[in-house]
Amino acid sequence: MNRYDCLKALVPHIKDQLVVPSVSGQWVWGELCPRDGNLLLGSMGNALGVGLGMALGLPHRKVIVIESDGSVLLSLFNLPTLGNLNPPNLVVFVFDNEMYSGSRISRPSATAGKTDLAAMARDAGIASAITVRDLDAFRHEALRAINENGLSFIVAKVTESFEHRQAPRSDMDLTENKYRFIRYIEKTEGIGIFAGRG
Amino acid sequence: MQLSSAILAAENEPVDPQLAKRTVEQLSRVGIDFITYLPETRLSDILPVLDNHEAIQLVPVASEAEAVTIASGAALVGKRAACYMEGTGLFVCSYNLLTVAIRVGVPLLLLVSYVGSFADQRNSFRFAPTGIRTEAQLKALGIEYQVIDRAGDIEEKIRDATRMMHALKQPVALLFTGDYST
Repeated sequence: MNRYDCLKALVPHIKDQLVVPSVSGQWVWGELCPRDGNLLLGSMGNALGVGLGMALGLPHRKVIVIESDGSVLLSLFNLPTLGNLNPPNLVVFVFDNEMYSGSRISRPSATAGKTDLAAMARDAGIASAITVRDLDAFRHEALRAINENGLSFIVAKVTESFEHRQAPRSDMDLTENKYRFIRYIEKTEGIGIFAGRG
Repeated sequence: MQLSSAILAAENEPVDPQLAKRTVEQLSRVGIDFITYLPETRLSDILPVLDNHEAIQLVPVASEAEAVTIASGAALVGKRAACYMEGTGLFVCSYNLLTVAIRVGVPLLLLVSYVGSFADQRNSFRFAPTGIRTEAQLKALGIEYQVIDRAGDIEEKIRDATRMMHALKQPVALLFTGDYST
Protein backbone atom coordinates (compact mmCIF):
# COMPACT_ATOMS: atom_id res chain seq x y z
CA MET A 1 0.00 0.00 0.00
CA ASN A 2 1.27 3.47 -0.80
CA ARG A 3 -0.10 6.92 -0.09
CA TYR A 4 -1.01 7.68 -3.69
CA ASP A 5 -3.33 4.67 -3.95
CA CYS A 6 -4.94 5.50 -0.61
CA LEU A 7 -5.57 9.12 -1.61
CA LYS A 8 -6.95 7.98 -4.95
CA ALA A 9 -9.38 5.71 -3.07
CA LEU A 10 -10.57 8.70 -1.02
CA VAL A 11 -11.41 10.93 -3.98
CA PRO A 12 -14.85 9.45 -4.89
CA HIS A 13 -16.02 10.06 -1.32
CA ILE A 14 -15.16 13.75 -1.24
CA LYS A 15 -18.26 15.95 -1.44
CA ASP A 16 -18.45 19.02 0.79
CA GLN A 17 -15.80 18.04 3.34
CA LEU A 18 -12.98 20.44 4.13
CA VAL A 19 -9.58 18.86 3.44
CA VAL A 20 -6.24 19.99 4.91
CA PRO A 21 -3.15 18.13 3.67
CA SER A 22 0.21 18.39 5.36
CA VAL A 23 3.64 18.62 3.76
CA SER A 24 4.22 16.82 0.44
CA GLY A 25 0.66 15.43 0.59
CA GLN A 26 -0.58 18.80 -0.66
CA TRP A 27 0.93 18.33 -4.14
CA VAL A 28 -0.54 14.86 -4.63
CA TRP A 29 -3.94 15.74 -3.16
CA GLY A 30 -4.10 18.98 -5.12
CA GLU A 31 -3.49 17.02 -8.31
CA LEU A 32 -5.86 14.12 -7.52
CA CYS A 33 -8.73 16.18 -6.16
CA PRO A 34 -8.57 19.86 -7.16
CA ARG A 35 -11.34 21.84 -5.43
CA ASP A 36 -11.88 25.00 -3.41
CA GLY A 37 -12.66 23.04 -0.24
CA ASN A 38 -8.95 22.14 0.08
CA LEU A 39 -6.52 24.20 2.11
CA LEU A 40 -3.21 22.97 0.70
CA LEU A 41 -1.20 23.95 3.75
CA GLY A 42 1.80 21.74 3.14
CA SER A 43 3.94 22.59 6.14
CA MET A 44 5.29 20.26 8.82
CA GLY A 45 3.45 20.04 12.13
CA ASN A 46 0.54 22.34 11.29
CA ALA A 47 -2.23 20.50 9.43
CA LEU A 48 -3.61 18.63 12.42
CA GLY A 49 -3.96 21.80 14.48
CA VAL A 50 -5.51 23.78 11.62
CA GLY A 51 -7.96 20.96 10.85
CA LEU A 52 -8.88 20.70 14.53
CA GLY A 53 -9.60 24.43 14.61
CA MET A 54 -11.83 24.11 11.55
CA ALA A 55 -13.69 21.18 13.13
CA LEU A 56 -14.27 23.18 16.32
CA GLY A 57 -15.30 26.27 14.39
CA LEU A 58 -17.76 24.47 12.11
CA PRO A 59 -18.97 21.52 14.20
CA HIS A 60 -21.60 20.41 11.67
CA ARG A 61 -19.05 20.13 8.83
CA LYS A 62 -16.76 17.15 8.24
CA VAL A 63 -13.05 18.02 8.19
CA ILE A 64 -10.38 15.66 6.84
CA VAL A 65 -6.70 16.07 7.70
CA ILE A 66 -4.04 14.31 5.63
CA GLU A 67 -0.96 13.96 7.79
CA SER A 68 2.39 12.15 7.75
CA ASP A 69 4.48 10.46 10.44
CA GLY A 70 7.16 13.15 10.42
CA SER A 71 4.64 15.96 10.66
CA VAL A 72 2.71 14.38 13.55
CA LEU A 73 5.98 13.66 15.36
CA LEU A 74 6.74 17.38 15.12
CA SER A 75 3.43 18.29 16.80
CA LEU A 76 2.79 15.53 19.33
CA PHE A 77 1.15 18.06 21.65
CA ASN A 78 -1.85 17.86 19.29
CA LEU A 79 -2.65 14.32 20.45
CA PRO A 80 -3.79 15.03 24.03
CA THR A 81 -5.61 18.16 22.88
CA LEU A 82 -7.41 16.14 20.21
CA GLY A 83 -8.14 13.36 22.69
CA ASN A 84 -9.68 15.71 25.21
CA LEU A 85 -11.64 17.87 22.80
CA ASN A 86 -12.79 14.81 20.82
CA PRO A 87 -14.44 16.63 17.87
CA PRO A 88 -16.89 14.19 16.25
CA ASN A 89 -16.55 15.79 12.81
CA LEU A 90 -12.80 15.30 12.36
CA VAL A 91 -11.08 12.52 10.39
CA VAL A 92 -7.29 12.28 10.58
CA PHE A 93 -5.30 10.11 8.17
CA VAL A 94 -1.64 9.70 9.06
CA PHE A 95 0.34 8.20 6.18
CA ASP A 96 3.24 6.57 7.99
CA ASN A 97 6.06 5.51 5.66
CA GLU A 98 8.55 5.54 8.55
CA MET A 99 10.67 8.00 6.60
CA TYR A 100 11.38 11.67 6.20
CA SER A 101 10.60 11.14 2.58
CA GLY A 102 10.41 14.79 1.64
CA SER A 103 14.05 15.14 2.62
CA ARG A 104 15.40 13.84 -0.72
CA ILE A 105 17.66 11.31 0.98
CA SER A 106 14.89 9.60 3.02
CA ARG A 107 16.12 9.22 6.57
CA PRO A 108 14.08 6.98 8.92
CA SER A 109 11.60 8.57 11.34
CA ALA A 110 10.94 7.38 14.90
CA THR A 111 8.13 5.11 13.65
CA ALA A 112 10.77 3.04 11.86
CA GLY A 113 12.00 2.25 15.38
CA LYS A 114 9.92 1.61 18.47
CA THR A 115 7.32 4.36 18.14
CA ASP A 116 3.69 3.46 17.43
CA LEU A 117 1.63 6.56 16.57
CA ALA A 118 -1.78 4.89 16.93
CA ALA A 119 -0.83 3.59 20.40
CA MET A 120 0.40 7.05 21.37
CA ALA A 121 -2.85 8.56 20.12
CA ARG A 122 -4.91 6.05 22.11
CA ASP A 123 -2.95 6.77 25.27
CA ALA A 124 -3.48 10.48 24.63
CA GLY A 125 -7.25 9.88 24.74
CA ILE A 126 -8.12 9.21 21.09
CA ALA A 127 -9.92 5.94 21.76
CA SER A 128 -10.69 5.23 18.10
CA ALA A 129 -7.08 5.42 16.88
CA ILE A 130 -6.17 2.42 14.73
CA THR A 131 -3.48 1.24 12.32
CA VAL A 132 -4.26 -0.22 8.87
CA ARG A 133 -1.73 -2.10 6.79
CA ASP A 134 -3.39 -2.87 3.45
CA LEU A 135 -5.52 -1.03 0.91
CA ASP A 136 -8.72 -2.98 1.58
CA ALA A 137 -8.53 -2.17 5.27
CA PHE A 138 -7.79 1.45 4.42
CA ARG A 139 -10.80 1.68 2.09
CA HIS A 140 -13.07 0.14 4.71
CA GLU A 141 -11.91 2.38 7.57
CA ALA A 142 -11.83 5.51 5.42
CA LEU A 143 -15.41 5.00 4.26
CA ARG A 144 -16.55 4.37 7.82
CA ALA A 145 -14.73 7.43 9.11
CA ILE A 146 -16.10 9.72 6.42
CA ASN A 147 -19.68 8.57 6.84
CA GLU A 148 -19.91 8.11 10.60
CA ASN A 149 -20.10 10.70 13.34
CA GLY A 150 -17.08 10.49 15.64
CA LEU A 151 -13.40 11.38 15.80
CA SER A 152 -11.31 9.06 13.62
CA PHE A 153 -7.54 8.74 13.71
CA ILE A 154 -6.28 6.26 11.15
CA VAL A 155 -2.59 5.50 10.82
CA ALA A 156 -1.97 3.94 7.40
CA LYS A 157 1.33 2.08 7.22
CA VAL A 158 2.53 2.75 3.68
CA THR A 159 5.61 1.95 1.67
CA GLU A 160 7.80 4.85 0.76
CA SER A 161 6.84 6.29 -2.61
CA PHE A 162 8.12 9.24 -4.55
CA GLU A 163 5.00 10.43 -6.35
CA HIS A 164 5.18 13.75 -4.48
CA ARG A 165 8.54 14.43 -6.10
CA GLN A 166 6.97 14.07 -9.55
CA ALA A 167 3.58 15.69 -8.82
CA PRO A 168 3.13 19.01 -10.63
CA ARG A 169 3.62 22.06 -8.41
CA SER A 170 0.64 24.37 -8.36
CA ASP A 171 1.16 28.04 -9.16
CA MET A 172 -1.51 28.87 -6.58
CA ASP A 173 0.10 30.25 -3.43
CA LEU A 174 -1.50 30.03 0.00
CA THR A 175 -2.97 33.52 -0.21
CA GLU A 176 -4.96 32.63 -3.34
CA ASN A 177 -5.80 29.23 -1.84
CA LYS A 178 -7.07 30.98 1.31
CA TYR A 179 -9.42 33.28 -0.60
CA ARG A 180 -10.80 30.41 -2.69
CA PHE A 181 -11.27 28.34 0.45
CA ILE A 182 -12.94 31.15 2.37
CA ARG A 183 -15.27 32.07 -0.51
CA TYR A 184 -16.20 28.37 -0.70
CA ILE A 185 -17.05 28.34 3.01
CA GLU A 186 -18.97 31.61 2.70
CA LYS A 187 -21.00 30.23 -0.19
CA THR A 188 -21.70 26.81 1.27
CA GLU A 189 -22.36 28.02 4.82
CA GLY A 190 -24.09 31.28 3.93
CA ILE A 191 -21.79 33.33 6.19
CA GLY A 192 -19.36 36.23 5.84
CA ILE A 193 -15.86 35.52 7.08
CA PHE A 194 -13.59 38.48 6.46
CA ALA A 195 -14.79 41.62 8.17
CA GLY A 196 -13.95 45.14 7.03
CA ARG A 197 -14.62 47.43 4.13
CA GLY A 198 -12.68 48.47 1.09
CA MET B 1 10.85 40.95 53.72
CA GLN B 2 13.48 39.38 51.49
CA LEU B 3 13.30 40.15 47.79
CA SER B 4 12.37 36.54 46.91
CA SER B 5 9.50 36.64 49.43
CA ALA B 6 8.27 39.91 47.95
CA ILE B 7 8.27 38.41 44.45
CA LEU B 8 6.49 35.29 45.68
CA ALA B 9 3.81 37.40 47.35
CA ALA B 10 3.36 39.45 44.17
CA GLU B 11 3.03 36.33 42.03
CA ASN B 12 0.01 35.26 44.05
CA GLU B 13 -1.80 38.56 43.68
CA PRO B 14 -4.71 38.30 41.25
CA VAL B 15 -5.42 40.80 38.51
CA ASP B 16 -8.11 43.25 39.64
CA PRO B 17 -11.36 41.30 39.05
CA GLN B 18 -12.96 44.34 37.46
CA LEU B 19 -10.06 44.62 35.01
CA ALA B 20 -10.35 40.94 34.09
CA LYS B 21 -14.09 41.43 33.52
CA ARG B 22 -13.60 44.59 31.43
CA THR B 23 -10.99 42.83 29.30
CA VAL B 24 -13.28 39.91 28.51
CA GLU B 25 -16.27 42.18 27.90
CA GLN B 26 -14.29 44.23 25.42
CA LEU B 27 -13.00 41.13 23.62
CA SER B 28 -16.59 40.01 23.21
CA ARG B 29 -17.72 43.49 22.15
CA VAL B 30 -15.21 43.55 19.28
CA GLY B 31 -16.45 40.15 18.13
CA ILE B 32 -13.86 37.71 19.49
CA ASP B 33 -15.71 34.41 19.84
CA PHE B 34 -12.93 31.78 19.91
CA ILE B 35 -9.88 31.81 22.21
CA THR B 36 -7.14 29.21 22.51
CA TYR B 37 -5.01 29.44 25.62
CA LEU B 38 -2.28 28.17 27.87
CA PRO B 39 -2.61 29.63 31.39
CA GLU B 40 0.19 31.74 32.86
CA THR B 41 0.79 34.06 35.81
CA ARG B 42 -0.22 37.59 34.80
CA LEU B 43 -3.56 37.49 33.01
CA SER B 44 -4.99 34.16 34.09
CA ASP B 45 -7.82 35.80 36.05
CA ILE B 46 -9.54 36.37 32.72
CA LEU B 47 -9.98 32.59 32.42
CA PRO B 48 -12.82 32.11 34.96
CA VAL B 49 -14.58 35.07 33.33
CA LEU B 50 -14.11 33.47 29.91
CA ASP B 51 -15.33 30.12 31.25
CA ASN B 52 -18.65 31.74 32.06
CA HIS B 53 -18.96 33.73 28.84
CA GLU B 54 -21.55 32.14 26.58
CA ALA B 55 -20.46 33.85 23.36
CA ILE B 56 -16.78 32.87 23.56
CA GLN B 57 -15.55 29.35 22.83
CA LEU B 58 -12.56 28.74 25.09
CA VAL B 59 -10.13 26.05 23.93
CA PRO B 60 -7.40 24.74 26.26
CA VAL B 61 -4.24 23.62 24.47
CA ALA B 62 -0.97 21.91 25.34
CA SER B 63 1.41 24.22 23.49
CA GLU B 64 1.38 27.78 22.18
CA ALA B 65 2.28 26.22 18.83
CA GLU B 66 -1.15 24.62 18.55
CA ALA B 67 -2.79 27.67 20.12
CA VAL B 68 -1.84 29.36 16.84
CA THR B 69 -2.71 26.53 14.44
CA ILE B 70 -6.07 25.74 16.06
CA ALA B 71 -7.07 29.40 16.21
CA SER B 72 -5.99 29.82 12.57
CA GLY B 73 -8.18 26.93 11.47
CA ALA B 74 -11.14 28.37 13.36
CA ALA B 75 -10.57 31.83 11.85
CA LEU B 76 -10.50 30.38 8.33
CA VAL B 77 -14.00 28.98 8.80
CA GLY B 78 -15.51 32.14 10.25
CA LYS B 79 -14.53 32.51 13.89
CA ARG B 80 -13.02 35.75 15.23
CA ALA B 81 -10.08 34.15 16.95
CA ALA B 82 -7.56 35.06 19.63
CA CYS B 83 -4.68 33.23 21.32
CA TYR B 84 -3.85 33.93 24.95
CA MET B 85 -0.34 33.05 26.09
CA GLU B 86 2.66 34.12 28.14
CA GLY B 87 5.39 36.10 26.39
CA THR B 88 7.68 33.07 26.51
CA GLY B 89 5.05 31.24 24.44
CA LEU B 90 5.54 33.71 21.64
CA PHE B 91 8.95 32.13 21.07
CA VAL B 92 7.44 28.63 21.17
CA CYS B 93 4.89 29.44 18.46
CA SER B 94 7.01 31.63 16.18
CA TYR B 95 7.34 28.81 13.63
CA ASN B 96 3.58 28.30 13.52
CA LEU B 97 2.89 32.02 13.30
CA LEU B 98 5.29 32.25 10.37
CA THR B 99 4.29 29.09 8.46
CA VAL B 100 0.52 29.34 8.99
CA ALA B 101 -0.91 32.62 10.28
CA ILE B 102 1.49 34.97 8.51
CA ARG B 103 2.02 32.93 5.35
CA VAL B 104 -1.67 32.23 4.80
CA GLY B 105 -2.74 35.64 6.12
CA VAL B 106 -5.02 34.90 9.06
CA PRO B 107 -6.46 37.60 11.31
CA LEU B 108 -5.57 36.55 14.88
CA LEU B 109 -5.48 38.59 18.05
CA LEU B 110 -2.49 37.54 20.17
CA LEU B 111 -3.12 38.29 23.85
CA VAL B 112 0.38 38.08 25.29
CA SER B 113 1.38 38.67 28.90
CA TYR B 114 4.48 40.80 28.60
CA VAL B 115 6.57 39.05 31.23
CA GLY B 116 10.01 40.48 31.83
CA SER B 117 9.20 43.91 30.44
CA PHE B 118 10.14 47.19 32.16
CA ALA B 119 6.59 47.68 33.45
CA ASP B 120 6.21 44.07 34.61
CA GLN B 121 5.70 44.46 38.36
CA ARG B 122 6.71 40.84 38.92
CA ASN B 123 9.84 40.96 36.81
CA SER B 124 12.71 38.74 37.88
CA PHE B 125 15.71 36.97 36.44
CA ARG B 126 13.25 34.28 35.29
CA PHE B 127 11.46 36.62 32.93
CA ALA B 128 13.74 39.52 31.99
CA PRO B 129 15.82 37.62 29.39
CA THR B 130 12.58 36.81 27.53
CA GLY B 131 11.00 40.20 28.06
CA ILE B 132 13.84 42.24 26.58
CA ARG B 133 13.62 40.19 23.38
CA THR B 134 9.85 40.02 22.98
CA GLU B 135 9.31 43.15 20.92
CA ALA B 136 12.36 42.33 18.78
CA GLN B 137 10.83 38.92 18.09
CA LEU B 138 7.53 40.45 17.01
CA LYS B 139 9.38 42.89 14.76
CA ALA B 140 11.36 40.03 13.21
CA LEU B 141 8.09 38.24 12.48
CA GLY B 142 6.58 41.42 11.05
CA ILE B 143 3.72 41.34 13.55
CA GLU B 144 2.20 44.68 14.50
CA TYR B 145 1.71 45.15 18.26
CA GLN B 146 0.66 47.51 21.01
CA VAL B 147 1.72 47.52 24.66
CA ILE B 148 -1.03 47.87 27.28
CA ASP B 149 0.36 48.98 30.63
CA ARG B 150 -2.50 51.14 31.92
CA ALA B 151 -5.90 49.68 32.77
CA GLY B 152 -7.61 52.80 31.44
CA ASP B 153 -6.45 51.99 27.90
CA ILE B 154 -7.84 48.50 27.62
CA GLU B 155 -11.05 49.13 25.68
CA GLU B 156 -9.38 51.41 23.14
CA LYS B 157 -6.34 49.18 22.62
CA ILE B 158 -8.40 46.01 22.09
CA ARG B 159 -10.71 47.84 19.68
CA ASP B 160 -7.79 49.31 17.70
CA ALA B 161 -5.87 46.01 17.54
CA THR B 162 -8.92 44.12 16.32
CA ARG B 163 -9.55 46.70 13.62
CA MET B 164 -5.90 46.40 12.55
CA MET B 165 -5.95 42.59 12.40
CA HIS B 166 -9.01 42.64 10.16
CA ALA B 167 -7.50 45.37 7.98
CA LEU B 168 -4.20 43.51 7.56
CA LYS B 169 -5.63 39.97 7.65
CA GLN B 170 -2.64 39.11 9.76
CA PRO B 171 -1.92 38.36 13.42
CA VAL B 172 -1.71 41.45 15.65
CA ALA B 173 -0.38 41.32 19.23
CA LEU B 174 -1.35 43.05 22.45
CA LEU B 175 1.36 42.92 25.14
CA PHE B 176 -0.13 43.16 28.64
CA THR B 177 2.05 44.55 31.44
CA GLY B 178 1.97 47.31 34.09
CA ASP B 179 -1.47 47.28 35.70
CA TYR B 180 -1.91 43.69 34.52
CA SER B 181 1.13 42.54 36.48
CA THR B 182 0.55 44.09 39.91
